[in-house]
Amino acid sequence: MEMGNDSRIERARSRARGAKAAIAAGTLLVFGAAFVGAKGHAPGHHKGKAKALGAPKSFERAVKRSIAEGGVIQPPVAPPPVATSTS
Amino acid sequence: MNVHRFEAMGCEIAVAGADPAAVAAVFEEWEETFSLFRPDSELSRVNRSEALVVAVSPLFARALAVALDVAAETDGLVDPTLSGRWRDVRIAGRVLSRPPAIALDLNGVVKSLAVDTAAELIEGEGFVSAGGDIAVRGPVDVALPHGGAIRVVEGGLATSGTASRGPHLIDPRTGEPSKSPWEQVTASGASCLAADVAAKTAFLLGSDGPAWLDEHGIPGRLVTSDSAIVESSLWRGALACT
Repeated sequence: MEMGNDSRIERARSRARGAKAAIAAGTLLVFGAAFVGAKGHAPGHHKGKAKALGAPKSFERAVKRSIAEGGVIQPPVAPPPVATSTS
Repeated sequence: MNVHRFEAMGCEIAVAGADPAAVAAVFEEWEETFSLFRPDSELSRVNRSEALVVAVSPLFARALAVALDVAAETDGLVDPTLSGRWRDVRIAGRVLSRPPAIALDLNGVVKSLAVDTAAELIEGEGFVSAGGDIAVRGPVDVALPHGGAIRVVEGGLATSGTASRGPHLIDPRTGEPSKSPWEQVTASGASCLAADVAAKTAFLLGSDGPAWLDEHGIPGRLVTSDSAIVESSLWRGALACT
């Protein structure tokens, strides 16, 4: 009778160990999946080389060149239809 | 060349080679957005807003981004905050953020940007001028302050100074009206914006203005209050070409 009780307790302990191992494995699996997902998709975890969020460099260069670039002028050849002045 | 003239943005607009009604619509849109004298303009509403972050129209965002580029290029001499705090202003897409109590004044770039935008409407050859700030398509002869003329072959021509409105150009380094020795500075740029920025910068730099123009390869002509004329080396060189 006593041996029967010991056997039931042992089986219960065995089931509890199995359940704990399953819960631990599941937790590790969920944590791992969440970690990989976060690393791949969250803004703070970039997948590759960081890229600037602003306008392309070529555009910025064009704007800067345009701002600091002189025009083309020549001596006049006809009566001017328009004048430049402060306004 | 058939020239149409009308008033907009508080000055005379002259147009050749483009539909005057379409050009007028461009200036009206820019004035509606950027006028400091219209309480319902977008700029007035932004300046009244106490929010640190506001959404602005694409036109506003584009012009402000250019104004901040100009401030960086001129080391803050042409500054949309007029107070040396342009680095505190951020525009990301259509989202504007700035610290409290910073008012924006985009007059330093708005007129010339509007001229460049309107000049896109020119079919063939022609020009658009707003109060003497000009963008050309094809060669156009332009009369200069204190006499003389120049042929603008490509780009734009603009004049900045105190001749018509007194000392209204604020020097951001002092926060006071500029004490430049120049009365008027005319510059030739790759666009009307470039010409306007160069003219303002050379004016505000005072006696260093001609050297700055030469250093940046910009033809310029500077007139003092007693009508003495100083030409940058590229201006002189262009006039010497025959």
